[in-house]
Amino acid sequence: MIRIEQLTARQGSFRLGPIDLDLERGGYLTILGPSGAGKTVLLEVCLGLATAAAGRLWLDDIEATQLPPELRRIAYLPQDLALFPHLSVRDNILFGARQRRLAPEVILGRLQELTVLLDLDGIIARRTVTTLSGGEKQRVALARALLPGPRLLFLDEPFSALDAAIKRQLQIKLRQINRELGVTILHVTHDQEEAFLLGERIAVMIAGKLRQVGRRDDIYYRPASLAVARFLRNQNILELQVDQVGTDGSCKLVGSLPLVTSGCTGIRPGERVAVGIRSEEVVIIRPDRPIGNDLLDNLFDARVVDILGFGGTHTLTVAIADSGVRLDVELPNCAFRDLGYAVGDSLRIALRRRSLWTLPMNSSSP
Amino acid sequence: MSFKRDLPFRLALIVPLAGLTGYFLLLIGSQYVFFSAAAFLHQLALPEIQAAIVLSLGSATVSALLAVGIAVPGAYLLARREFPGKRLLDTFLDLPVVLTPIALGTLILMAWNTPAGRLLDDLGLTLPFTVAGVIAAQFTVVAAIALRLLKTTFEQIDPRYEQVARTLGCTAASSFRRVTLPLAGRGILAAFILTWARAVGEFGATVMVAGTARGATATLPSSIYLAMSVADLPRAVTLIVLLLLISLAVLLAVRFALGSRP
Repeated sequence: MIRIEQLTARQGSFRLGPIDLDLERGGYLTILGPSGAGKTVLLEVCLGLATAAAGRLWLDDIEATQLPPELRRIAYLPQDLALFPHLSVRDNILFGARQRRLAPEVILGRLQELTVLLDLDGIIARRTVTTLSGGEKQRVALARALLPGPRLLFLDEPFSALDAAIKRQLQIKLRQINRELGVTILHVTHDQEEAFLLGERIAVMIAGKLRQVGRRDDIYYRPASLAVARFLRNQNILELQVDQVGTDGSCKLVGSLPLVTSGCTGIRPGERVAVGIRSEEVVIIRPDRPIGNDLLDNLFDARVVDILGFGGTHTLTVAIADSGVRLDVELPNCAFRDLGYAVGDSLRIALRRRSLWTLPMNSSSP
Repeated sequence: MSFKRDLPFRLALIVPLAGLTGYFLLLIGSQYVFFSAAAFLHQLALPEIQAAIVLSLGSATVSALLAVGIAVPGAYLLARREFPGKRLLDTFLDLPVVLTPIALGTLILMAWNTPAGRLLDDLGLTLPFTVAGVIAAQFTVVAAIALRLLKTTFEQIDPRYEQVARTLGCTAASSFRRVTLPLAGRGILAAFILTWARAVGEFGATVMVAGTARGATATLPSSIYLAMSVADLPRAVTLIVLLLLISLAVLLAVRFALGSRP
């Protein structure tokens, strides 16, 4: 559907790429990255609104690098939506379909479908778009983008200005659009929750480069570099030294916290590595229950030094005995209430081998 | 309490504005001493005054249309595209705004004494002491103003609208026509009204190029000058009141054209 090969671009002192990326028909890819990472520049180059310095872009196996934007048939929902203020809601929605001179019966059929899907009935007759609410504007902009039947839909932080409830409704609509209408979507966001909720695949972009592209769990639990791990809010990162590497890919690490991890392929004894675990993967051992074999490798006594509540979860900061290492442990509220921990309480924690990721220390810039 | 503490600051804001308003009222109100309705109507009936009115309004309309017609594409180019030498060109095109109109008029006369000017003259574009000269002088003064006003208008329109229009199937030209031009409509109308008003009031360049031949090339401003040079106060007051009415109409029209925008 879309294939990007070694694409680079420059905007002032900013350099994008080289980027290699592909997205199959009907897929949903989110590009996740901090502000200023170059996500919008990448979209603009793919749309033909900005010029590529090098590289190639393929759309449905046709090279599109030099095609003008109007011939690429990629719909675009920018962050500010850019609804045309001089046109009515209906004229905004019909703008692209009329410009592409679609047959009236085709327009009517699609309009009826989108009116139902996006709940446009109450707003389509409005004479101006300027009085619409944020959520209504999003739905009108989506309808305008989808009505001409684009081969791809690009979304650039479309929900950043919306409150949580409306944002969730529209995120569900987007999944419907992707699954029911079969629209291929490339969605750019800095919101990690949104990226993981919507993207079948996720590409992490930092400082103009794609640092990792993969499925949700791979990105979440197996960051490819320290930069990705830090961006994805891996709070528990330790710098340790490899003592032994086993034939099964496991390794024994020494340093501030002795650990046994797996997935050490390519790492040699004596090398310094970064080891991490997500806070919700840290296991609290309950004294009244037996300990599973997979928890025996990395079992530690600890003490609660801080507790923070975040809506549905609580994060305990625990200091591991005799090490000076502090780890965050995230618990759902029900588990937190059951365990009843307070600051100063002692507990035992375990770090499963399979929950730990290990990276060479020089992996910040792959 | 807070009102008293703020009083010096409030006075510092109000006094200059009140002083300026009073000064303008003095200028306009002083016409009342010399104004008589009978003399006003009598002057309006004179053919040479009517000729000056028609010439001023007609030539200003033509020169403002020409200026805005040329400034729309030029200002759009300057507002939207980057090209080598753009800042230099932008500064160069500002020259007529800061140059005194007398000098601009002189430049026109001198240019018509070059081979290129003589060629244009031979082709029928004779400027000295003609109505074409009046239009050329007004155009020279107002074109750069129109360019400046319209560049600001286009800069205020988010280019994202055009970009989205392109992704919806518009070419560069059709996105300009279907999106940018309608969005710039009020700004273009305001630019036309303001350049037209500036052209109506133009004096220096017009006098230099076209002279002040009564009933032929004398405009409203040059007729005021002619009237004052022979101490014909009733005529001068009539023409000033006319210009005041035109100015008031222009200001109201601009406010209407721009709607609620500041």
